[in-house]
Amino acid sequence: MFQATPLTRRKGYAELVAKTIFFAMTSMMVLPLVLIVAYLFYQAWPILSLDFLLTVPKHGMRAGGIWSPLLGTLYLVAISLVVATPIGVLAAVFLNEYARETWVTRVINLAVVNLAGVPSIVHALFGLGAFVLFAHLGKSILAASLTLAIMTLPVIIASTKEALSSVPMAFREACWNVGATRWQTVWHVVLPNSISGILTGVILQVSRAAGETAPIMFTGAVFYKAIPEDTLFAYGLFDQCMALSMHLFTISTQVPDLPKALPYGAAVVLLGVVLIVNAMAIVLRVHLRSRKKW
Amino acid sequence: MVMADSKVEFAGLRVRYGRREALKGVTFDARHHEILGIIGPAQSGKTTLLSTINRTIDNVPGAVVAGTVRLDGQDVRLTRDVFGLRRKIGMVAPLPVGLPLSIFDNVAFAPRMAGIRDRHELERRVESCLRQAALWDEVKNRLTSLGTKLSGGQQQRLTIARALSHDPEVLCLDEFSIAIDPVTTMRIEDVLRELRSKMTIILVTNLVQQARRLADRTAFLFNGELVEIDATEVIFSHSPASRRTYEYVNGIFG
Repeated sequence: MFQATPLTRRKGYAELVAKTIFFAMTSMMVLPLVLIVAYLFYQAWPILSLDFLLTVPKHGMRAGGIWSPLLGTLYLVAISLVVATPIGVLAAVFLNEYARETWVTRVINLAVVNLAGVPSIVHALFGLGAFVLFAHLGKSILAASLTLAIMTLPVIIASTKEALSSVPMAFREACWNVGATRWQTVWHVVLPNSISGILTGVILQVSRAAGETAPIMFTGAVFYKAIPEDTLFAYGLFDQCMALSMHLFTISTQVPDLPKALPYGAAVVLLGVVLIVNAMAIVLRVHLRSRKKW
Repeated sequence: MVMADSKVEFAGLRVRYGRREALKGVTFDARHHEILGIIGPAQSGKTTLLSTINRTIDNVPGAVVAGTVRLDGQDVRLTRDVFGLRRKIGMVAPLPVGLPLSIFDNVAFAPRMAGIRDRHELERRVESCLRQAALWDEVKNRLTSLGTKLSGGQQQRLTIARALSHDPEVLCLDEFSIAIDPVTTMRIEDVLRELRSKMTIILVTNLVQQARRLADRTAFLFNGELVEIDATEVIFSHSPASRRTYEYVNGIFG
C-alpha cells in the first residue's frame, strides 16, 4: 500500500526540479558576494598587513597605509550612533507603545518611512545647510556625524518599531490587567524581550554609516589630513577628517600613478569593517535569541 | 437600579468599535461573593463587557463606551487612578499568558509593580497565590524556571495565580478553559468555588455546562444585548423567561 504510483513518482520529480531551481536562485545571491570578496583580496594581497592598517598615507597618498581614514571613519560612525541611537530608540518606543493612532502619529510614521528612503546626497545637502552653515559647526567631524545620524535615524526608528511590535500584544495586556503602568510594562517586559532586535537594527546602521560617502563629503571629510600615528585621539570634534569611503573614492579617481593594490587594500579594509560589525550583530542576535523566553 | 449588594453594575452600557456595536445597552449586576456566569455565542459582547470593568477597553483604538460601569457604586470611568482600579480586578484571558519571566517573577510582578519590595512578603504572596491556583505542588521546586516553559494548563493556572496576586476584589475569567484539559479545568473549577468566599467572580464561558456547574446566577448575552439574567437553575430549567435562552442552553441554536 506504500508503493509509489506513477502519479506520486511524477510529483516527486516535480518536487525535485522545483527544489533545484529554488536552490540555484538562492546560490546566485551568494555568488556575487563571494566573487567580490575573493577578487578584492586577490588584488589587495601584496599590500595587506598590520602595518597597512596602522600607518598614515604617505607620498601624496601613493604609499603608506590607511590609518587616518580608518580612524576618521570610526570617529564618524561612533559619534553618529551615539547621537542617533537614543533618539531613534526612544522615538520608536513612543510611536509603538504610547502614541495612539491619530493624524499626528500617522504623519510622523509617514515621515519616518519617507525619510528612510531619501537619497544620501539629499541628507548631505541638509547637513551642509543645517549643521555646517546654520549651526556654524563648520566642516567638522561633528557636522558630518550629525548628518550621518540624521540619515540613520529613520532606519533605526523603523527597525526598533519592528522589534518592539514583535513582542506579543498579550504580554502587554497581561501587564495592564494587573495594574502595571505603560512605562512599567515597557521597561520590565517589552524592552527586555525586544533588545536583541533593537541592537541588531542599530548595529546594521554602522555598516551603512561607514559606507556612505555623500553625506560626509560636504560636511566634514577631506581629501587629505596629516595626523599622528601614535594616538587614538588624533582628531578633535571640530577637526575635519579623512574617511575610508571618501579615501577610496579620491585615491581611485584623483591620484595618478597609484600602486594598483592600494585602492583594493582600502576597499578590503572598508569591507572588513562592515563585515566585522555585521558578524557582531549576528553573534549578538544569536546569543540574545538563545535566551528568548517564549 | 442600585442594589445594596451589587459589586459590579453595568447600567445602559454601550460599546461601539467604529460602526459595529458590540454592546447595545446592557444593564445588570454582579453581587458580592457570587459566581456570575455569562454565556452567549461568539460576537455577543462578552469579552468587551469584561474589558470595560478594568478599562483595558481604553487601549483599544476606536472603541467608544457609553453608559456606566460601577465598582462598589463608583463609576469606573470617572476614577483618576486607573491602575489602582485594575489592581482591584483580576483578569484571566482565554489563552494562557506566561510572561517571559520566572514563575516566581510572574506572580510577584503585580505586587512589585504596586511597590512591594520586601522579599518575605513577596514569597508569602507568591506561595499563597500559587496554592490558590492549584499550581504550588507542581512548581514549588522550580520557581526560578521560566513561566513560558510550563505546559498550557499550568500556564493557565499561572495566569490565574497572577490574577490573584494583587488581592483583587473581582475576578474575571474569560473562557479560561478553552486551552486546557478537562482534568485541569475541574481542578480550577474547584478553586473558583473556594475563592467565592473571598471575592466576586465573573465567569465568561462558551461551555454552558460550566456555567451550570459553577454559577450562582447566569446571564445570557446575545448579539450585544442581555437576553436574560436569573438564578442558574432557572436559566437551565425548562422555563427560562426567554425562549432563546432555552434554545441556546439546549444547543438548539447558537
